[in-house]
Amino acid sequence: MQPDESPFEVLRAENEQINPAIILAERLMRREAAELLSVEEVNEAENILTIGTQEIEVIESHRKAFQKTPASAIDYIPTGF
Amino acid sequence: MTGLGSARAENGKPVFGFGERLNRSLEYLRFKAKSYNAIYACETVSRVVSEQHKYRLYIEMFPKDWEQSTKSLYRAGYFKAYNERTNEFFQLINDNRFPLLEYWHDDPELELERFAIPPMNFDLCCEEVDFANLRDSYLAGLMFYFNEDEEIWNYFSEKYGVDKESLPTIKTAHANIWKEKHRSKEKPFSDLIRLVDHSTGNPWLDVTNCQYPEFFEWNKETVEGLTEAYKAANLYFKNLEHLDRRIEEDAQTFFSELISFWNTGKISSWR
Repeated sequence: MQPDESPFEVLRAENEQINPAIILAERLMRREAAELLSVEEVNEAENILTIGTQEIEVIESHRKAFQKTPASAIDYIPTGF
Repeated sequence: MTGLGSARAENGKPVFGFGERLNRSLEYLRFKAKSYNAIYACETVSRVVSEQHKYRLYIEMFPKDWEQSTKSLYRAGYFKAYNERTNEFFQLINDNRFPLLEYWHDDPELELERFAIPPMNFDLCCEEVDFANLRDSYLAGLMFYFNEDEEIWNYFSEKYGVDKESLPTIKTAHANIWKEKHRSKEKPFSDLIRLVDHSTGNPWLDVTNCQYPEFFEWNKETVEGLTEAYKAANLYFKNLEHLDRRIEEDAQTFFSELISFWNTGKISSWR
């Protein structure tokens, strides 16, 4: 983080992606429940579940850290205020 | 005819009707209402993967029941976290493999991702010993642990006329009684002592209500292992029936041989 960057700018600069579990869940819910997944598909689902859960945990820890950030005065009035 | 149930095709296989399609639609709409919530998506993927593991087990273990089943794949069953089909699988395991839906597995809110098994053996740790409800052969095994308890000796004296004084003195257990292999004559005594001691190596017989339960996962090896162990556990109780008959035939000889085995690791002729 550069000294002149605000936390929001740091956040905005992060890569944006949809949690892969959302995409997989949509795919799984569209198929017939009785259709068995192959071993590879189950392994893939378990991997995605791990990645998706990790992503949620990372975001949650960032959010908590963000909430702890002390407030600081700015020298301009944001648009709309 | 409402069309809500399922019919059967000419080949006997169930054909799901409007009801099941409606259930599927409702399930999908429930999902869609929250589908962009990552936490909910993870829960959905986790649930589908868990269901898939159970379906695979169901098909491998009960292929005919799976083919004939008309239970819904979408509507919640008795255990609300699972659909009717998965509930049917739990019931089949309970009816054909080992007791699953007993013990504390009777709460419809329960999740059965991991399950415990009910102890089949008698608890010595916290239960008050009620001699009247035990098999005589089991009581005979208990005498090594309750040697100073007069009640157990009074029971045998009254029922079989066997007194402590007429039997060899009970010493410290000989190390050989815990050997893995025994001759056919000694094996029933070894099995009895292991059963009473809760050291059979069989989870159905060694767990007690006083210890934190061991939890088992849903996979083929575990289910088959527990099935075989359950059959073996029942054989231990068959052995008790056999030993009971021997006590009835000649209690004095039986007790003398059992004590001899405990003291020396082998059965000596006492006459």
